[in-house]
Amino acid sequence: MRKKLEIGLVFGCLVAISLLFVFGPKEKISLSEKRSLATLPALTWDSYISGTFSKGMQSYINDHFPFRAQAVRLTEAFRYNLGFHLQNQEKIVVVGNPNKIKEPEDSNLDSAAQKAYLEGFEEFDAGSMVILNGKIYTQNSGDPAISPYFAKMLNVYADSLWGKARVFSAVAPLSSAFIPLKSYERYVGRNEATLKAIQTNLNPGVYFADVMGEMNQHYNEYLWYGSDHHWTGLGAYYGYVAFCKAAGITPVPLSSMEKKVRKGFLGTLYELTRDQSVRDNPDLVETYIPPGIETKAVRYNPYDLKNPQLTKVFCNSANYSTFICGDAPLMKITTNVKNGKKIAVVKNSMGNAFVVYLISHYEQIYVVDFRYSKHNLLKIMKDAKVDDLVFAVGMYAAVSRGTIGMMRQLAYQKNQDYSDVLKQEEAQRILDSINGVQDTVVVQSQN
Amino acid sequence: MVFSSLTFLYFFLPLSIVFYFAFKNVRIQNFILLVFSFIFYAWGEPVWVILLLFSALLDYFNGLLIDKFRENKSIRLLALVNSIVINLGLLATFKYADFIIQNTNFLFGTSFTEPNILLPVGISFYTFQTLSYTIDVYKGEVKAEKDPIDFLMFVSLFPQLVAGPIVRYAEVAAQTRVRPFDWANVSTGVNRFCLGLFKKVVLANSVGILVEKYLQVQFNDLSTPEAWFGIVLYSLQLYFDFSGYSDMAIGLGRIFGFTFPENFRHPYAATSVANFYQRWHKTLGRFLRDYVYIPLGGNKKYQIRNILVVWFLTGLWHGASWNFVLWGLFLGGFMVIEKVLKKYFDLLPRFALYAYALLVVNFSRSFFYFDDFDKLGIFLGKLFYSPNPIGAGWGTDLASYAFLFVVVILFCIPWDEIFPKGSRTNDVASKYYRGFSLGINLLFLLLATALIVDDTYNPFIYFRF
Repeated sequence: MRKKLEIGLVFGCLVAISLLFVFGPKEKISLSEKRSLATLPALTWDSYISGTFSKGMQSYINDHFPFRAQAVRLTEAFRYNLGFHLQNQEKIVVVGNPNKIKEPEDSNLDSAAQKAYLEGFEEFDAGSMVILNGKIYTQNSGDPAISPYFAKMLNVYADSLWGKARVFSAVAPLSSAFIPLKSYERYVGRNEATLKAIQTNLNPGVYFADVMGEMNQHYNEYLWYGSDHHWTGLGAYYGYVAFCKAAGITPVPLSSMEKKVRKGFLGTLYELTRDQSVRDNPDLVETYIPPGIETKAVRYNPYDLKNPQLTKVFCNSANYSTFICGDAPLMKITTNVKNGKKIAVVKNSMGNAFVVYLISHYEQIYVVDFRYSKHNLLKIMKDAKVDDLVFAVGMYAAVSRGTIGMMRQLAYQKNQDYSDVLKQEEAQRILDSINGVQDTVVVQSQN
Repeated sequence: MVFSSLTFLYFFLPLSIVFYFAFKNVRIQNFILLVFSFIFYAWGEPVWVILLLFSALLDYFNGLLIDKFRENKSIRLLALVNSIVINLGLLATFKYADFIIQNTNFLFGTSFTEPNILLPVGISFYTFQTLSYTIDVYKGEVKAEKDPIDFLMFVSLFPQLVAGPIVRYAEVAAQTRVRPFDWANVSTGVNRFCLGLFKKVVLANSVGILVEKYLQVQFNDLSTPEAWFGIVLYSLQLYFDFSGYSDMAIGLGRIFGFTFPENFRHPYAATSVANFYQRWHKTLGRFLRDYVYIPLGGNKKYQIRNILVVWFLTGLWHGASWNFVLWGLFLGGFMVIEKVLKKYFDLLPRFALYAYALLVVNFSRSFFYFDDFDKLGIFLGKLFYSPNPIGAGWGTDLASYAFLFVVVILFCIPWDEIFPKGSRTNDVASKYYRGFSLGINLLFLLLATALIVDDTYNPFIYFRF
């Protein structure tokens, strides 16, 4: 009897779970993984013989398995309880699959190989991380051998824009420079060397914002999320202060800004490491809102300037996408600062938290995400008569030939006629002012 | 398909069990096992299933031929040579072609292109299994199997198809015809399977995370203690991975009424290198002993040469690369030393023998892990001296995996040798184990499932919809 019960329990469990799978509901996307889940593969002779059917089926079963979220949580608790936990004792974990796509040797910008490379290139923070008292720090530390290429790319922009617009470098360091343990001091030096290599390779007349120097003055403040690969709103504020110093602008004091705090943020590095000590220390999402500024923002698709969609500078979400509502290929922010000043910001996601402070100083802000935008940056700047161009990126972007190539590509890629859009916007503005509508940014299709 | 996948555990396994036990007739049951075995194999290798079929049918006919012409020595020999040449030819083509061509090009300056054939899963196991069958029929140790279904089932039986144990036909011949149902058998099988799943998914994979970290990611910064730590963990990962798989195979076999030979017996309690390999992957050792070592002369003639030949082949069997050969010869060399210096070894206290065996075996895993000779050289150097200081995270790893290490060590201790069956401690422990076994099986299964599911959790930094 006992043996039967023993067998029945195990077998019953197998059957019950498989039935739950077959008849249970299936999700389409996984928000925590930021990806779509596998769909049921079609069984054809070709798909079977090539093995894609069995692989697809396996992915489908894996992605839709019952109690998946609970299983992941249980695993996390299990791993956490495999031993003791010491205070102030760092743990090193390796995450992700840091497969790098090799850049083609033919670096001609128009070559098919180069284009395919840039299309397929993905920024990915993977590798070795340090977990210390519930906070995760990357162990990546830049590369002073590559960052000069970033500077040279900026020099090319500065040459093209000479006399028309100022060009700024505002590269953020990596969190590895802020690991509060003496044994990791080497990363401080590497970060500094990487940024210094940018500064020394910039031509005279190209501006360098000393972001790391500014952040270092506030070393013990909440500059980095412990569970995410981004800097906090506060960290980005010091980046903005560094930019203001380089640009000759007076930064808006933090004390005059409205502070909003949202709790319970667990970001990408937590998802990658699934470390319970991090889960037990969720991040605060603090946003500082510059006083007295009204904004209107629109975002565009990657390839054209048709069908802009309304968006916001501050979104009501308790994660990093609270800043400019997440990444968009191209975004235009119009403010009620009637000084006629315009700026273009080339950025990866690190720039999102930085951009929000610029609304106090510019009437128009063009935010270009170099990873997604297929618009021609120089053409937009020329048509809109932009005064400043700032590269506000995290250091990953400045130490990879792939991302530097993408930023360089912005100057060369498809020529969009942005002047038409501006004309339509101007016409609408005049119409609105006649109708008594104030400060409205036109959201209108070119079609 | 692998045992430690959701597809196997929650779909293939319950379906095969339901279909199998829906019938009482052993012939139908054999047919069902055959069908499921081919589905199992073809799931991952839809094309190479033909190779499996070919190898099995070849030896089926060779067996029949030898049986039919038992009096005609030349035909018998021809069938045997046919089996040896074709099976080893299959291995040479599908496993060693690139290796042979690389070495030919290197030695003779030729420039043959490598065919880059992907190794068909399990080929090293099933070719040995069919080959051993033909040799045994030739030697008259077993009768040839007349029924093609039964023979195909013996070769392709999914529990042991892709990673052994290497079953001899004589061991299961009777069971292919008569397998009376027995709850005790199924229960033992379920226990063994769950234990194996736990060893593979929970122990081996957890240890494996650290192995990757120390032997790959932090390779350049390793201190000497960390290098040893990494290689010992790798050794443990191999043990729990492979013995776990064997446990699952043996357990599944028991569920379907087969008794497969044991493959491991507490190797880490060995007192010499030779003793270690009497306890590790025993069915491979047995194969090479019976079909290579003894025919070469065994202990009686050229023993040292025979040991080195067997270990050269053992190395080569593990992979088509010189590092495996080096590994085999390194171990073979120690076995020769143990033979030559036996009287001195006999003088050593037991704990010294344990320490010696562990040291040599763990050291030898370096040859197994690094197939890049440059890296291997650097690593072997680090095992003796490294200027690097001990890394900051090592202490944390020792602490934060402390319970895992305790469980791992407990699993390596040969409890049943210390407290043999019939002893009072064994009786008491068995009684308690029976009391908990209900919960333990379920715990092992669900924990392993959670870990497998976690492995499929694949977060991205940016949205990929």
